[in-house]
Amino acid sequence: MNGEVCQLKELDVEYFEIREVLRCILHTIFFHRALGLVRPKDIDLELFEITYHTHHCRLALRKIAENSYMYVQCGDAELEKKVDEKIDQFIDKVEKHPNKKNQICLSFFEVKNKQQTWFTNKVEHLYWEHWYINLNVAQHPKAHSGKSHHSKLVVDPGESASEERNARRATLESSLHEVLFQIIKFVNEKKDHIPPIPSMEGVSFPYEIIISSSSDSAFGMDMFKRMLQTGHPTMLS
Amino acid sequence: MAVNPHSEPAKMEQIITEFFAKSLHIILESRCPYVSSRNYSGDQIMHSPSSSASSSSSMRPRDKWFNLTLRDCPAALENIDFWRQSNLEPMVVDVVLVQRSHNWDYGSTSPRLALERNLSSKERFPFVWKSDSDEFGCDGNSEKIIERWVVQYESKKGCKEVCSGSKRSSSNSSHALYKKSILLLRSLYVTVRLLPAYKIFREINSSGQIRTFSLIHRVSSSVEPLLRRDEAEMQQFMFAPVDTSCGKLCISLSYLPSISDATSESSTPMSPQFIPDYVGSPLADPLKRLPSVPMPQYSPSSSPFGRRHSWSYDTSIASPPSALPSPSPTYSESRTSYSKFGSHRPPTSSRYPLETAQVHTKDTGYDEYLPSPNFSPSPSPSPPMYLPGSNMLKVLLRSDSAPVYIPTSRLGDAPVSSSKTGLPFSPPLRATRPSLSLVERSSSILQSATTAGKLLSLREEDIARPSGVKISGPFVVDDDDMMDPGSRPGSSDRSGNLGTPHERIGPSTPRKSQDAAVGALVQMLKKAPPLRQDLSRSQNVCKPSRPESSCNQIQDPAVVEVGSSSMASSRVKTTSDALEELKAYMDVKQLLLRQSGKS
Repeated sequence: MNGEVCQLKELDVEYFEIREVLRCILHTIFFHRALGLVRPKDIDLELFEITYHTHHCRLALRKIAENSYMYVQCGDAELEKKVDEKIDQFIDKVEKHPNKKNQICLSFFEVKNKQQTWFTNKVEHLYWEHWYINLNVAQHPKAHSGKSHHSKLVVDPGESASEERNARRATLESSLHEVLFQIIKFVNEKKDHIPPIPSMEGVSFPYEIIISSSSDSAFGMDMFKRMLQTGHPTMLS
Repeated sequence: MAVNPHSEPAKMEQIITEFFAKSLHIILESRCPYVSSRNYSGDQIMHSPSSSASSSSSMRPRDKWFNLTLRDCPAALENIDFWRQSNLEPMVVDVVLVQRSHNWDYGSTSPRLALERNLSSKERFPFVWKSDSDEFGCDGNSEKIIERWVVQYESKKGCKEVCSGSKRSSSNSSHALYKKSILLLRSLYVTVRLLPAYKIFREINSSGQIRTFSLIHRVSSSVEPLLRRDEAEMQQFMFAPVDTSCGKLCISLSYLPSISDATSESSTPMSPQFIPDYVGSPLADPLKRLPSVPMPQYSPSSSPFGRRHSWSYDTSIASPPSALPSPSPTYSESRTSYSKFGSHRPPTSSRYPLETAQVHTKDTGYDEYLPSPNFSPSPSPSPPMYLPGSNMLKVLLRSDSAPVYIPTSRLGDAPVSSSKTGLPFSPPLRATRPSLSLVERSSSILQSATTAGKLLSLREEDIARPSGVKISGPFVVDDDDMMDPGSRPGSSDRSGNLGTPHERIGPSTPRKSQDAAVGALVQMLKKAPPLRQDLSRSQNVCKPSRPESSCNQIQDPAVVEVGSSSMASSRVKTTSDALEELKAYMDVKQLLLRQSGKS
């Protein structure tokens, strides 16, 4: 497979955290790849506020700034919509296949001129970068719709449960922090592989998001398809 | 030599200059708290304007540089102009956390912006720019550098020869430089928001908050060495430099990884923290405390008394028996309220002498003595109504340490029928009466009391003269009963004991002469162990009690109980105590005579 690959650190998340975590990571990556004119938007990660809202017994009103995590969006509405759609698909897949390691692959490619080959008629996508977001979704009863990030999940108000939840939240926050810095380092270190900017609007480069899981039979197929599209290095002249 | 503005070197020079400006803008935008006087609102600042990039028409040309439109940051805009001079000098931006001193004026919240430009060539740029306010003046404020950003362009030697190379390579060079600068600034934008200082920045900008700390920044062109201890605390982060043909653009960062302790202690909470599952205070649920207070706690100086108090019965009984006389509800009511709010504490009113606690039996059998678990094990003494002379009553009436209720108002009436249960309480004097019901005890005690009351219509002289007549029956207090109440038999025995006096005092028992009663009393006084000092004090306290019928009725049982308990527990009794007691008895006698005279 061509292109630079960045395997992000695996995150342990719960169902209601999937959306915000994925939004944070994906938009951070896109912000580094939307090299056209952008007006960045700072988004508070409502992830950790959710725990407070569902913490109906130990509800503490806290400052948003103190607890919130934030990420940056390009400010492209179209991109936001596409990202949310993919996240919905991911959540559906996770619900259907629980207890699996799930992965989202964000790939940037170049559209190459159509190459007539014997196995494909598609426009060739020349992938130059792959981002693998690995999520380990904890087993949890589906008490809410995954599409709503303001979960109504009623959490056990036990003291030990809240402490455990706080510890887990802190761990997730720290891990998410690491992942974001991982992205920053990767972006900083590898710049030469980025092709010329085709578009100055929104996300400058074409991309695709593929959802896969470790046990997914299509997982390998997606990889194979990608290989076919990109072509084996030896096949390219 | 005139520089072609469209030449490659000029372009690169411009890119580098704008790079400095943009990086400063990015840093200060997220580190310089907003000044209220500049009509900034939190919402306006915290969220970007329209996300649509199509509103580029409102953007200034500088905003489009590096394809990154930022929010207005006056501090950055004011500082940037100073850096247009030279790209060869580093730009050092120190983000300083200022802790306010105690004498800080809370009326003003705008931070001080200080721009210091310490160039080696100070003569050319010898200025220091400060903002208007000095709230964060150096007086008493502690400053700590929490971040240090260094943006610099390191030119390569022999750069000029390279830049004058082919046009194609130069354009590629500037293009590449520009593209990589975009990437670098994007990373910078994200990074500044991941650092701890950003949280402080947001805290400061949050509305309606007065804080004892703030952020200021200093922009300089020389790297002043940090204190060794500060430098040791800081972590380093370096962005990948952007290589150009003539040099490389670098951004490096030194930051404190943890600065929460500085802000968490000094900041006031934005909003109260609710603790919904607050367990509650004693006032909220005072009844909770009652069962947990042990008896010994109440009377530390004396042997622990295990006897529960009569009013504990009342608290648990929803309504007294209908046969209870009128005074009793009053008393029970008062005692109920008392026991509800800290009955573990000794009563302090004159009607509730402290000493009464010490007359109780040992607590070893206290729990057993409780007739029912509903009765709150109040450690407070039995109805501490103490009437002078009532000890005599207790002595006379005590058969099995049963409390005696003397409804003095009824003494003049017909003998109280045994069916009347005038006792609003029946404080157990013994430790072994767990199952006797209140009504049962009240009736039996009342019978004893009424009989005793009749016996106690004494003349003064009768009291003083030990008749030597022994009173048998229920009013003879066994020494065993007095000495060791804990050895009392169980409830059944207790009731039996009560029944016994009843039987003895029954209609078949002739009315004993007053002289005999007095004599018996004197006998008991002689045998009785000395009262304690505090008990005598209680006697003195209760002396001025009002001679009202209700009071007497309420007090008498308590007195009886106290007296009997005292005899059971106290061993030392001085002569003066006895004399005082005798005097009390005489007062009682007078009272009784008066009342009997009225009726």
